[in-house]
Amino acid sequence: MTRDELQKNIVSILVDEFEFENPGLTDNLRDDHGFDSIDAIELLAKIEEMLGYQISRKEKEQAMSIRTINDILNYIETIQAAHQSQ
Amino acid sequence: MFTIVKRKIMQRRVVITACSAITPIGYGKTDIVESLRQGKSGVKPLRDDGLLTERIHSKVFGTVDYPIDYGFARKDTKTMGPVAYYACKVAGDVLAESGLDPEFIRSGRLGVSFSSTHGSPTIQRNIYKTFFSEDKSKFSSIGAVDYLKSMVHTTAVNITRMFGITGRVVASSTACTTSSQSIGFAYEMVKFGMQDAMIAGGADEYDTTTVAVFDNLLACSVDYNDTPECTPRPFDVNRDGLVVGEGGAAVLLEEYEHARARGATILAEVVGFACNNNGGDLILPNLDGITATLRLALADAELQPADVDFISAHATATKMGDVIESQAIAEVYGNKPWVAGLKSYMGHTMGTCGAIELILSLYMMEQGFLAPTLNLENIDERCAMLRHVREITETKIKTTAIQNFAFGGVNTCLLVTDGRE
Repeated sequence: MTRDELQKNIVSILVDEFEFENPGLTDNLRDDHGFDSIDAIELLAKIEEMLGYQISRKEKEQAMSIRTINDILNYIETIQAAHQSQ
Repeated sequence: MFTIVKRKIMQRRVVITACSAITPIGYGKTDIVESLRQGKSGVKPLRDDGLLTERIHSKVFGTVDYPIDYGFARKDTKTMGPVAYYACKVAGDVLAESGLDPEFIRSGRLGVSFSSTHGSPTIQRNIYKTFFSEDKSKFSSIGAVDYLKSMVHTTAVNITRMFGITGRVVASSTACTTSSQSIGFAYEMVKFGMQDAMIAGGADEYDTTTVAVFDNLLACSVDYNDTPECTPRPFDVNRDGLVVGEGGAAVLLEEYEHARARGATILAEVVGFACNNNGGDLILPNLDGITATLRLALADAELQPADVDFISAHATATKMGDVIESQAIAEVYGNKPWVAGLKSYMGHTMGTCGAIELILSLYMMEQGFLAPTLNLENIDERCAMLRHVREITETKIKTTAIQNFAFGGVNTCLLVTDGRE
C-alpha cells in the first residue's frame, strides 16, 4: 500500500468512524479532535483489519506515542516494513 | 422478626425535583398519562432474534417500539450499549428539567445511583459469538470498549461521563429491585448528608435471554401469545405469568433546602425506604420478608398504615407472587389503600420497574387520578381482600408506596408524598 493509499484509507476511517471534521495531517489528535485512549485502541483494531494481520503487543505499545495523522501513517509503514521483512 | 434501630445522625428531607421515563407505553409525561388514561398496553409480539426466540414459549414482550431522538455525539456513544442509551437519555432529561447549575453538576455534591440487570446483553451476546466462533481471527473483533458497554455499572458511568458528574457512583444490580434500590440508596445518600443530590434510576434493554430464563422457570406468560395486550394480568384469576419488558427511568433526588433555595419545582418527597432479604430461598416470594419490608418502610417514614393512600404493587402476575404480596398488603394495611399493578400496562421492565412505577405514580398523584390494573377482569379470590383500582379513579393521593421484590430474596418499599406546595 502506497503512502497516498494509506493516507486516503486512514483519513476515511477517521472521518467515517471517529467523526473527525476536516482532519489535517499535523493536527493534534487529542487536542483538535478529542481522540482518547479508547479511540486509540479502537483505531489499532481498524488498522489490523485493514492490514489483514494481527499487530504484535510490542508494536501496539509503540503506538502510544502517536500524536498526529502523520504519526499514524509512519507507524503503519514501520509495521508493514517489519512484516514484509519476516 | 425485625428490629428498628434509631441512630442519632444527620437526617435531611429528600425531594424529587425532576423525572423522566422511556417505557413501552410512551416516553415522557404526556404520552404515558394518555396511555394510562386510555388503558393502552405496551406489550407486543416477541421479535425474532435469530437465536432464542424460536425456542421460547412466551411470545410477548413489553416493547419500546417508537423512535427516540437521542442526539448523542460519538465521543459519548463509543462506550454505550443500548441500555446506556436509555440511561443517558433519561438522565439528561432530568438534568435539563431540574435546571441545576452546571457548576453544581461537576462539584462532587451530585452523585449517580443507577444500574441495570445485566449491563448490556446485546454486547455480551456479540462477545460470546466471538468466543464460540471457530474462526480464530475473530478474536480481535472483541472491541476494546465492549467491557465498558456491557459491564453492570455501564449505565451509571456513562451518565457520569456524558454530564461530567464527579460525585459518588452507586450501581446496585439486584434484578427486579435494581432501580428501587438505586432510588432508596440515593435517598439515604442525600438524607444522611453524603451528597446533596443524586440522579437515580435504572434501565434495561430488549433482551430475549431474560425471557428465556423466566420461560424455563415456567414464570412467563404463554397463553396470550396471539393477544399480547391481554397479558400480564396481575391479580386476575386467569393470569399465567410475567411479561418481560424494556425501558429506562430516572429521578433527581435533592436535599429539600437545596431545592427550595434555588426555587426548584418539588414533585414529591421521599419519606421512607426499606430494603431487606428473605434470608433463604432465592426465588420463591416470602410473606414474612415482604411484610417486614412494608413495615420497615412505614417505620422509616414515621407513618401509620392508614396514612398510605395508594400502593403500586410489584404484581408481576405470577401465580404465587401476587397472592403472597396481597397477603402482605392485607396484613400491614388492611383494605384501606388503593392497590394497582402497573406492570399490567407494559410488562416487567426488570431493573427499571421500580423507577418507572414511581414515576407513573408521581404523574397520577400530580393529576389526581389512579389508573386501574389492566386486564383485571376476574379477581383471584386469594387477592380479593384488597381495594383494587378497577377503573380510572379521580382521587387525590397524598402518600404512595412503591413495592418491588427480586430474585435473590431482595425486597424494597419506597414511600413518597405529594410534594407540591
